[in-house]
Amino acid sequence: MNHNQQSNEVRHDDENALSDFLASLTDYTPTIPDELVEHYLAKSGFQCPDVRLTRLVAVAAQKFVSDIAIDALQHCKARQAAVVRDKKDKQQRDKRLIMNMEDLSKALQEVIITL
Amino acid sequence: MNNGCRVDTDRFDKSDRERVGADEFGRSISKVAVGQICERLGFYSANDSALEALADIVIRYVKDLGKTAKFYANVANRTECNVFDVIQGLEDLGSSVGYPGGSEGCSSVLASGVMKEVMEYVEGVEEVPFAQPVARFPIVRSRRLTPSFVQMGETPEFKHVPDWLPAFPDPHTYVYSPVWNERTSDPRSDKVELARQRRKAESSLLSLTKRLLSSGSAVTSTVEAANGGKKTRFLALTDVQTVTHSAEGEKAVFETELNPVVMRGKHVNDSNTENHVSILETFTPVIEAINGRVSESGENGERDFLDKRPSVRLNFNNGRKMIGDSLDLRLWNRGTGRISSWFGRDDVMDDKKRRAEYILRQSMENPLDLPQL
Repeated sequence: MNHNQQSNEVRHDDENALSDFLASLTDYTPTIPDELVEHYLAKSGFQCPDVRLTRLVAVAAQKFVSDIAIDALQHCKARQAAVVRDKKDKQQRDKRLIMNMEDLSKALQEVIITL
Repeated sequence: MNNGCRVDTDRFDKSDRERVGADEFGRSISKVAVGQICERLGFYSANDSALEALADIVIRYVKDLGKTAKFYANVANRTECNVFDVIQGLEDLGSSVGYPGGSEGCSSVLASGVMKEVMEYVEGVEEVPFAQPVARFPIVRSRRLTPSFVQMGETPEFKHVPDWLPAFPDPHTYVYSPVWNERTSDPRSDKVELARQRRKAESSLLSLTKRLLSSGSAVTSTVEAANGGKKTRFLALTDVQTVTHSAEGEKAVFETELNPVVMRGKHVNDSNTENHVSILETFTPVIEAINGRVSESGENGERDFLDKRPSVRLNFNNGRKMIGDSLDLRLWNRGTGRISSWFGRDDVMDDKKRRAEYILRQSMENPLDLPQL
């Protein structure tokens, strides 16, 4: 009984968290625009009039992309650190990070996408 | 970060740029969105190819997520997707990467690890909306549908056709109806017709000048100007019609196209008898040349000196050299000979020759009146 009650409480918490999250999604504007997401979802057969779901998908995609980009950034920084090590002036280190195809492919390999 | 700041700027030539794929709009929008995400993370710029690849990945991800969510909804006998379908899809897509709680399987959707990650992401990251307002796409154009039988107020002719179906097209759109006989364009008859009209014009012009002369007024060079265009014909067989006028002493040379001149020797005014003879002499070779004449403009015809009065010579430009050096009829004959060698349209020329002779004969025999010109 206790166990059940506990699980019930946990479930309620989860539900609350989820519903709160979905409610907060209406205010949040993801970087990927809604129209774009709706277009591609409609292309694949996803049918839902609720805007929160599209926002959820957009946010999930944004998270996915930012994860990959962060990995690529780290690769880029590691590369720069390896290059600049022999330079005398550390301030000359190029602060401009440019996303390369190589860094990106390295990052994508972790997500098991081969380019 | 400037999205347009591409490190590899080997931009294609114009032909490539004009070739646009079907999904170009969506791709470019996702490219901009991805660029914004990268910029926020700390990148200064990105290679164009890398940016395009990432944009492609985003699109793929969204599509896959939608497909998976739809699949789960269909499995649950639904057509519209749920939040739980989406969470299930997220778990499916994220299972390759790994998320907390993945090993336990999908115990409770509410306690999904993926969702927790997403929630943390949303709370952690700052909100950066898309740079520009995006219109709804693709734009659906409203088509004008064919009205049904009922809407048209018609009843279909066949019993098996219900009246709520679109109406049949009007029979005039598909039934073959007889076409009027097209006028067969016969170039020969066209030429003859053209020549006839020109002859008419010239003869009326001639009668006009004659009337003017007979009234005693000076002939102006308007006639000349009117015929100026004809001089530019490449055949340049502008025969000179010498209009002689001795009464007032003025001299003007008319140049009109005169092919061939039919001399009405009988109808000459007494006062200008002496000129008449000269005119006759002048135009005899012309008349003779009719027989061997080849004319491009097709004016072989009948220039009828149907007036009773003789032609008057009025010399306007004494000093200036005119095309009327073709007064020299030998030149004209030479030209004729030359041209006859150019054209091999014998049948047309024969026809014209015959006509010319016929008209000559007619004018010699019958006294034609002025109106009959």
